[in-house]
Amino acid sequence: GKMGEGRAYSWDGVFNHLEMLEAQAHEAGRKQEEKKQQEEKLASLKERVEELRIQRDKLQAKVDLQKKRLSGKEGIMSDAAEASAGAVLEWKIRSIKGMLQLFYLTGISGKLTKQGVCFSISTAYEGTYLDSYYLDLLTKPAVRIHRHSVPVFIPLEQIAKRYLQTDIRRFLSVLSDHLNAYAGRRYQADQLQEHFSDQLEGSLQRNSLCNLLVFNYKVPSGDKTFPFSARLIYRDICCSLPTEVMVSSTVKAPEHLEETAAAHSELFRHMALHKAFCTFSNTEE
Amino acid sequence: MDETVAEYIRRTVLKIPRDEIKSMLQKWGFLSEAQLQTINFHQIKDNVSQEVVHLCEENSANIKQAAVLDIIYNHIYANKRMWSVYQMQKTGEEPEIFDLQAFKKKFKRRLLSALENVTINFREYEDNAIWIRVAWGTPYTKPNQYKPSYVVYHSQTPYVFISASVLKSNLPLLCQALLVASNYHDIREMELRSHSLTSLKDIVFKRYSQNFQTHCPRAIQDRSGEPEYVDVRIIQENRSEKERIQRVTREIFGDGPQPQLEFARYKLETMFKSDPKMEVLDKKEPFRCLVKFSSPHLLESLKSLAPAGMADAPLSPLLTCITQKARNNFKIKEKSSFPESCVSP
Repeated sequence: GKMGEGRAYSWDGVFNHLEMLEAQAHEAGRKQEEKKQQEEKLASLKERVEELRIQRDKLQAKVDLQKKRLSGKEGIMSDAAEASAGAVLEWKIRSIKGMLQLFYLTGISGKLTKQGVCFSISTAYEGTYLDSYYLDLLTKPAVRIHRHSVPVFIPLEQIAKRYLQTDIRRFLSVLSDHLNAYAGRRYQADQLQEHFSDQLEGSLQRNSLCNLLVFNYKVPSGDKTFPFSARLIYRDICCSLPTEVMVSSTVKAPEHLEETAAAHSELFRHMALHKAFCTFSNTEE
Repeated sequence: MDETVAEYIRRTVLKIPRDEIKSMLQKWGFLSEAQLQTINFHQIKDNVSQEVVHLCEENSANIKQAAVLDIIYNHIYANKRMWSVYQMQKTGEEPEIFDLQAFKKKFKRRLLSALENVTINFREYEDNAIWIRVAWGTPYTKPNQYKPSYVVYHSQTPYVFISASVLKSNLPLLCQALLVASNYHDIREMELRSHSLTSLKDIVFKRYSQNFQTHCPRAIQDRSGEPEYVDVRIIQENRSEKERIQRVTREIFGDGPQPQLEFARYKLETMFKSDPKMEVLDKKEPFRCLVKFSSPHLLESLKSLAPAGMADAPLSPLLTCITQKARNNFKIKEKSSFPESCVSP
């Protein structure tokens, strides 16, 4: 302090001391102030760093997104898009399964093999599914049958000779007609034996292709029954209905039964055998 | 009743196992139910057969009726006989309306026109099989009922199954009659023989299980039946190889039971391939060798070879082509050892 200069007191030492203390306090205050300022500055800088970091992350994310978008459309998508891709695949699988099921239901289906194609032909008669038959075809050097499960009395060789090389579709269609007709005829004969054995007399005579059926059956008239004999010939082996039917009574029967025989004959010509027998029993009741 | 007929019936009944005598006599239908009731089937077979003969005398059985009992026995015990398969050829393309009565008539007529002393019997079964029994005589002797030939024919198929009697000389006559009756023009013996008639039919009629690749969903269901007992303490070191063997075996043999054959014969007429330095057989002649595989059930044992670790999978095509080619008698000549070059005699 300047106050000490006007007087020559012995107060010099005291004032010096006070000066010194003041200076120290001042210094300390200044330092305190400095420290405080530094801390504040540090805090604000830290805040700034945080802000900048957040901003940096945001920008980085944007850059990554841009990169991915540019690198390819088939790439990874966000979660929402992934879920829909899975759904699309599921739908595709379901529709292919459905199509295979559909083909199976239409009767002819095929599967590529190492050496060619394997076809399966399913047979059915009026809503009932019957056996399936298979053909393993080789395609090189020419189309030919490697192995098959077609019954030996179906004229497979003849059908193959005519159509296999030129028109596979026609070949399969013709073979399918043969197999379906055979399956239908056999089914009718089996049904007749199974469900109407009480009306049959003796055994049902048939052959491998089931294209000739001969049997005797009882026709009730009044309280008597008359034996009838039936002979069904299926000349068209692609057809499950007979081309010729001969029904007659085996003993001398009253007049009206001749009409019955003719009626039965017509019925057998146009209706499935077991269904025809069904109508007999119905009309009786 | 003729003494020979009585003796024949007696001997036929003796062949039948005691438990089955009654049911076979019922199938035969020659003796009435009432007559059958009088027989004591629990006594020794000798006595049973004597009683049957007495009853047959009451009904005056003739040899044709007695032969029917023989057919019934042979139908049930078909596997006591060795069956060969014959294949017929025809030129015509029209599908046949097979008429059983016409078939039988033509067959009998043809045979009888060549040889008077024959006994011919027919019997039809549910599976469209026609059994024909022929007992052969000569122009001067009556037919020998103890060595008949059996023929099994399924209508509208080109295959005939014959169990010939020892008298092979009658075979051409039999074949001729078959051709005439069934409207075919040529017949030849196939290289396929077995005691199991059913298995022979399965092979030529393609009724055995073949593995076809299909999209059919049913096929997948059938296979998933067996539960797998997995013991976690056991680690399968070569699981993938095992699975490959299973897959290959299934592809070749299919899933179902195999037809029953007793043997496969391979007659080799190939050159012996030795080290030239060894100088063995320096003659340029084929080395003749006959290899015969025998088994109570050959195809099942072949099927289990690879899974049992005794052979590599896939097996040699010479073994696996048996059902596909419908033969179990092969002749292998030079060129390549594959069945394509096989020539049947």
